[in-house]
Amino acid sequence: MSVKHGLLALLERGPMYGYQLRAAFDSATGGTWPLNIGQVYTTLARLERDDLVAALPENEGQRPYEITAQGRTELTKWFASPVRRGDRPRDEVAIKLALAITTPGVDVAKVVMTQRTATMRTLQEYTRLKTQPGDLPWLLVLDAMIFQAEAELRWLDHCEASLVRYEPRPVAETTDVEVPR
Amino acid sequence: MTVLELRGVHRVHGTGETAVNALDGVSLTVEPGELVAVMGPSGSGKSTLLNLAGGLDSPTSGQVLVDGTSLQSLSRRQLAAWRRKRIGYVFQDLNLIASLTAAENVALPLDLDGVRKSRRQAEEALSEVDLDGYADRFPDEMSGGQQQRVAIARALIGERRLVLADEPTGALDSRTGETVLRLLRSKVDAGAAAVLVTHDARHAAWADRVIFLRDGVVVDVSQRDQPEELLSTP
Repeated sequence: MSVKHGLLALLERGPMYGYQLRAAFDSATGGTWPLNIGQVYTTLARLERDDLVAALPENEGQRPYEITAQGRTELTKWFASPVRRGDRPRDEVAIKLALAITTPGVDVAKVVMTQRTATMRTLQEYTRLKTQPGDLPWLLVLDAMIFQAEAELRWLDHCEASLVRYEPRPVAETTDVEVPR
Repeated sequence: MTVLELRGVHRVHGTGETAVNALDGVSLTVEPGELVAVMGPSGSGKSTLLNLAGGLDSPTSGQVLVDGTSLQSLSRRQLAAWRRKRIGYVFQDLNLIASLTAAENVALPLDLDGVRKSRRQAEEALSEVDLDGYADRFPDEMSGGQQQRVAIARALIGERRLVLADEPTGALDSRTGETVLRLLRSKVDAGAAAVLVTHDARHAAWADRVIFLRDGVVVDVSQRDQPEELLSTP
């Protein structure tokens, strides 16, 4: 997801100025994705340049923005299309583990365990937050984070079990891998 | 006062070449208001730990103390009485006696000790797990989630402050399972102590501490921090 679409969705509720948008974004994401005010203004400037939002006259030193018809079309398109896997950030844990296995002298089991403890702790924190009252949008964001943490833990268990049976292949002395052009 | 303490507990099954170290020097304390989850692959010693904590099995060496009393110092008869008074169990299934009503199931540990007015205590305990009006129902007249709530009410009846739960949500769907864990959590927050054996990370996450067992050894412990440190709620 881009901040751009997030702001468009918020402006669909009605005109808002920068600080209001940041507060609304915070509350919609349960504070899990903190935005700084600079990001909000640069994004607004880009949205205005692309005619997706329009600035309204200044009011008590604050300039509110409203969504344009073109912005609404963009927003509808965004809600209608799935988020592709490729659009998400790479999974750093998976990459780190892959590198740990192929880097000499790294205790891979320890890397797995350290990660598991940290992810378990995160899962405990999220679960504790569930005991506090909250609105449905926030609870669903929280559930998403809980299920993702759980998935990572299951994957780490799987890695640990696979590592027990793992015998590294002998390292080739010469590189005969074709480099893609 | 510490409710449960394991001091350097070893449990060896079998002898000679076939001997298996089910638990290999495990130490653990559980305080009132604390929920401890135990995770680990099959054969890691989870159930052995729970059986030892509940006095259903004795350690090869080391000590198990419940409310400060070493279970090994008790005769079989004393141990049975101690267990009945101090320790409650919640299992995945076969929790309730089918021919007894909910109230009778809950009151059973008290009845065995000849406690008077057990029925009233049982009704109060059922009310605490949101089962008002269910006292005279038989287990087969209740849903799986309701039966598990009866089991939790029974586990904490009378003076009992220690709950040992072995995959208590195993037979339940995810939402009902969460309700049972929320209840266990609230009981613990009210002062009970509990050990929860589970293979499900989402369930273990309700605990204050998660212990990872591997080949009878505690390999890792995950302790909850303060929520504020991680993220703020809106």
